[in-house]
Amino acid sequence: MTKRGRQYPLLADEDLISLVEEGDAQAFAVLYDRHGRAAYSLAYRMMGERQAAEDLTQEAFLKAWRSAASYRAERASVRTWILSIVHNRGIDLLRSLGSRRRMQDKIEASAPTSQPSEAFAESWGNAQRERVREGLGTLPQEQLKILELSYFSGYTHVEIADLLDLPLGTVKGRMRLGLKKMKEYFGSQDMVMPR
Amino acid sequence: MNGMDHRRFEELKDAYVLGALPEEERRKFKEYLAAHPERRAEIEELGAVAALLALSPQEHEPSAELRRSVMATVEAEAARPPASRRSPFAWIRESLSARNFALGAAAALLVIGLFSWSMLLRGEVQDLQGRVQSLQGQPQEPQMVELGGAGTEQGARAELVTLQGDRAVLVVENMPPVPEDKTYQIWVIEDDVPKPGGLFKPRGDSVAAVVEHPLGGGDVIAVTVEPEGGSPKPTSKPMLAAEVRT
Repeated sequence: MTKRGRQYPLLADEDLISLVEEGDAQAFAVLYDRHGRAAYSLAYRMMGERQAAEDLTQEAFLKAWRSAASYRAERASVRTWILSIVHNRGIDLLRSLGSRRRMQDKIEASAPTSQPSEAFAESWGNAQRERVREGLGTLPQEQLKILELSYFSGYTHVEIADLLDLPLGTVKGRMRLGLKKMKEYFGSQDMVMPR
Repeated sequence: MNGMDHRRFEELKDAYVLGALPEEERRKFKEYLAAHPERRAEIEELGAVAALLALSPQEHEPSAELRRSVMATVEAEAARPPASRRSPFAWIRESLSARNFALGAAAALLVIGLFSWSMLLRGEVQDLQGRVQSLQGQPQEPQMVELGGAGTEQGARAELVTLQGDRAVLVVENMPPVPEDKTYQIWVIEDDVPKPGGLFKPRGDSVAAVVEHPLGGGDVIAVTVEPEGGSPKPTSKPMLAAEVRT
């Protein structure tokens, strides 16, 4: 590894992304090592199986590599930017899969959601992740379910209303309340929001 | 306005940041947001709250093979000249916005830039270069029109770049593959009458095709899937379409 390369792990994400913009593969490798696991975990949560999650993660990282120039530090952290690429592409893929996942999610939607004590029992190495999960655990289940169906499963609010047999206004209301409670919780914890 | 107003914006902003708006509503929401930049900070803040959800999934370890695969592509692309790493759309915009650049030369460079990264497309460069040369004329402000339709819902992006008054290049990215015996066919629809505008097949991530029929203002450009060799008239619903503004 070059001298410059040995210094890469010490650089901030924003510095690395500037190098990536210039075509520096070593800088990109450091970003992958920092955020690959989070990106893959999100992809796995959305796609539900390993191969599809790996395909989505690969696609997202290659997009990040090719469009590093479009990154704007004032709008989001590098991690949030990478995760947003995973999320947006994942939503596209899930919607293109359409009805294939619908039945699976209908089954999941009709089943009682895990209690927070069960769902959040695992230990997490990353403190922020742990706090996020704790925060989500304080949400009423009916709000959390709707946030998850939209964010992770790619359903539109209209589809969620259909899936859960709820009025559309109720779905919108639960989205609003869920996000409001998240904001209040994390604000009260002085938790740094992803930019 | 496009059906979006303050009340509707308030009603939909939570679904927007969660990615839960249907495509049409999302487009209208974005248009409203573009017209009301004073609301952007509020949406970014709400989006940051929603983005916390991305940190909540149970952690899974990606395979070492995934890293190798990603880095193999990255290192291969890093070894290429900088221009060939850039998005074809960025290349188009930058080439065409250079005011002191003769339009014809920009178009030729555009096509060269689009294709130089892909060995698979190399064989088409000379042919397209020759055809683009014929487009050289007096420089005039180019126009770009983004196409919509079922293709974009499947992840494709397409822009029509008007190089001269009635001539254009269609640049398509991530178009779904077609069976061996099928091809994509471009149509220029004048007064509801479709005229064949050329054929193309998706190869790699991107493809550029010269539109082989003159375009006029108010015409519609469309892309359908047709039997190999093309059809005299469309036989399937458009995958992509847009009205041409000249």
